[in-house]
Amino acid sequence: MSIATDAAAAPSVDIKPSGTGLFAGGLTALLLVMVGAPLAMIVLMSLRTGFPGEGGPLTLANFAAVYSHPGTYKVLANTLLFASGTVVVTLIFAVPLVWLLMRTDLPFKGTIYVLMTVGILIPVFLRTIAWILLLSPRIGLVNQWARQLFGLEQPLLSLYNIPGMAFIQGVSFVPSAFFMLAAAYRTMDPALEEAAYTSGVSKLQTFLRINVPITLPAIAGVTVYLFMTAIAVFEVPAIIGFPARILVLSALIFTSTNPPTGLPNYGHAGAYGAIMLVAGLVFAYFYVRIVQHGKKYTVITGRGYRPREIALGRWRWPALAFALIYLSMEVFIPFLVLVWVSLLPHLQLPSAEAFAQISLDNFEHIFDHVGALPFINTAVLMFAVPTATMIFSVLVSWVVVRTNVSFRGSLDTLAFLPHALPGILLAVGLAYLGLAYRNYFPVYGTIAIIAIAHTITWIAYGTRTTNSIMIQVHRELEEAGKVSGASTPTVLGRIVLPLIAAGIFNSWIWISMLSYREVTMALALGTRKNLVISTVVWQFWGNGWVPQVAALGVILVLFAVLVVGGLKLGFSRLGEWQS
Amino acid sequence: MIKIRGLKKWFDTRRGRVDALRGIDLAIAEKEFFVLLGPSGCGKTTTLRCVAGLERPDAGELEIAGRIVNSPERRIYVATEKRDIGMVFQSYAIWPHMNVFQNVAFPLIRGRKRFGREVVAEKVKRALHLVHLDGLEDRPATDLSGGQQQRVAMARAVVTEPKILLMDEPLSNLDARLREQMRVELKKITRAVGVTTLYVTHDQAEALSLGDRVCVMHGGEVLQTAAPDEVYARPANLFVAEFVGEMNFIKGKVASGRIECPLGVLSLPVPAASDAVTLAIRPEHVRISASDGASGALVGTIASKNYLGDAALLEIEINGVTLLAKLAGDTDITVGQKTSVILPPERWRVFPS
Repeated sequence: MSIATDAAAAPSVDIKPSGTGLFAGGLTALLLVMVGAPLAMIVLMSLRTGFPGEGGPLTLANFAAVYSHPGTYKVLANTLLFASGTVVVTLIFAVPLVWLLMRTDLPFKGTIYVLMTVGILIPVFLRTIAWILLLSPRIGLVNQWARQLFGLEQPLLSLYNIPGMAFIQGVSFVPSAFFMLAAAYRTMDPALEEAAYTSGVSKLQTFLRINVPITLPAIAGVTVYLFMTAIAVFEVPAIIGFPARILVLSALIFTSTNPPTGLPNYGHAGAYGAIMLVAGLVFAYFYVRIVQHGKKYTVITGRGYRPREIALGRWRWPALAFALIYLSMEVFIPFLVLVWVSLLPHLQLPSAEAFAQISLDNFEHIFDHVGALPFINTAVLMFAVPTATMIFSVLVSWVVVRTNVSFRGSLDTLAFLPHALPGILLAVGLAYLGLAYRNYFPVYGTIAIIAIAHTITWIAYGTRTTNSIMIQVHRELEEAGKVSGASTPTVLGRIVLPLIAAGIFNSWIWISMLSYREVTMALALGTRKNLVISTVVWQFWGNGWVPQVAALGVILVLFAVLVVGGLKLGFSRLGEWQS
Repeated sequence: MIKIRGLKKWFDTRRGRVDALRGIDLAIAEKEFFVLLGPSGCGKTTTLRCVAGLERPDAGELEIAGRIVNSPERRIYVATEKRDIGMVFQSYAIWPHMNVFQNVAFPLIRGRKRFGREVVAEKVKRALHLVHLDGLEDRPATDLSGGQQQRVAMARAVVTEPKILLMDEPLSNLDARLREQMRVELKKITRAVGVTTLYVTHDQAEALSLGDRVCVMHGGEVLQTAAPDEVYARPANLFVAEFVGEMNFIKGKVASGRIECPLGVLSLPVPAASDAVTLAIRPEHVRISASDGASGALVGTIASKNYLGDAALLEIEINGVTLLAKLAGDTDITVGQKTSVILPPERWRVFPS
């Protein structure tokens, strides 16, 4: 709708509101640059040889070099196997969990729900490290124990293979898959299910013939989304894959630009990145198609009643055990391992001798090892990234939801695009931009470049939430304010802002936490000056300082849980009228 | 009080231009209760929103209390917040983060004219008294029932004593009994305030009972503007006849100034330049007498009987057409009975088809 653009001098005269269009145009252009520039850099670097900024003629030499090398195809095969395995592991846990938590009388649902959220707050690389400390063939606690007990020559279990990588990554994806599927379940009208029961159809038949077909588009959408993400993840492939010599695409891109020895080769990274980019966009296209297709099934009813829960009967306890097994792998075991290791001077099995050595020494000395800078940098990220992201998201959503600017659909798509843009690629693209055009974009090696990368990435997430928040605020609530005689700023300040504040603040915390635990982009853009806590942990691990990694990891997780828990608790009262 | 001249509004969609209003002309007098009636998509809500300034017409002129508030040709547009109006929304639009007092006081504290604390309290108290919500000032908006929200919306709309009150299907979200009750009350409240009211509804019973005048709209055009009894008794065209109340429709042909139809040849005034016509008569005007074979009357067979308590609806078959008749009170006529049917000539309406 039109906003009053009239000047105070002539209150009754108005020039057709080009202000809104102009503003929307500017916003679109800015977003286009933010998303487009790193993408353009990927393409540019793939067509150039030499260092960033050296110029030279455009060439296909990088592609020739990369795709004539047989090793590349081995890497592609590894990537596909790893991604497929990851998706399978995730779905095996996520689909039953969604059904159990959304539709049945499973005990302790609330607690399980909270622990899933905590699972998201444990960074993937910390979980991976914890599992390595358990299952590494040489140093892993389980394998040490098996050697002692049974005198085994071979390790009992090893993570250093593709199934091991897929297992850790798959477990880590479960919470996001869960929350995506749960959202789909929530929009499904429970009357559809109840209609089946009243038609005399059994619970199992209803689940198979009604629930599954209706949620199938959502499951398909989640599958594509997970696959798309799994192709691009970096943490597990780096931490397990490097020592095991199992390389995937993201690891190749990273080593091309950050080689352990020798000079970075941005050209090769660009050529590897091109294929990842194409795959990402193709999957994103399918994802959007499936999601749109699925929308025709979902009926959003205004009635706020909870559907009847299905009684699990004697299956309650096995079902609870299933949830507990999952939560152990996701939260309990990794965290306990980290705590155990952080209290000891070196990695060892529980024993009387080990218990005698337990102390907080590692925690006391951790700050001497880290210094103040990473903490300051992390704090900057945690504040700047969510603030910038939410400002962008609110503005974009306002244009998309509340105006009738002709290109608002394109703006929405543009804001969603970073979702399909792998973090590692975005970071490498930005690094190239910062190096090649340092005169125009002088942020390479600063915390700002990491903040920019994070902001671009989470605009996709931010706009999804602000879109739904804005849609929930009925247009008539704003119009009633105007009819009451309140000016546009008053309507925005007194009506719109209070109504969306709780939702915005929720997303703000969440993005702050995502930025806090993010390591891939921070690493790819990292120098000695812009270290953050997550990259420090990564460095310690590289140096083999296992107890210090564990101690810093425990601090990292506890702080996140305290912040989110505290803020949510304090804010839940304010958010009451929103539900 | 409100003058609308040649109001046009269109939307550009992917499939081309869609006309929402095709030139609306209306003049609403001071203190009049004026109802816009029509099916969904007829343009009634768009017209109302243009008056409110929430929608901007593409052509035409809008005048409120002698002041032009919107005229695209003359590049005049007075923003919604500068118009002296009150509005009740279909969703009520009660702000959920405020309590009842804050909702009703908002136009007085942040609106066109601002008042001191005591005046605000006094005015809010009076408005809440008007809608029978005395003492509910501190109730959070989220703790209100649908009917109470409706009343708060009403109080908020009249608290500034605006010149014009706009209502967009305010009763459509209430259940049937409450709707009837609120209908009566609505009329009382607007009378008490003495405000010019523009009211939008798709419910013809609501329109007829509330309106001083009713304007029937269809396809972005005004079909008829008249007093309720006039609209009911003399619908201007076939659409109005179909939309307002119930009618029997019979096809007929014009032959030498008279109308031939399955019920015989009727001498009725024929609309100019038409040879095919539709005859219409209301069910309550169809008269039945049990004694069959009265001279000059038609003879029909009762096909069905639907007893409503205060009336009965009968379906009568005559010469292959079915007529609906509504008889007040009890009747001992039974299904299958042959009756004579009297259709008073002055009750017939003739429309070109």
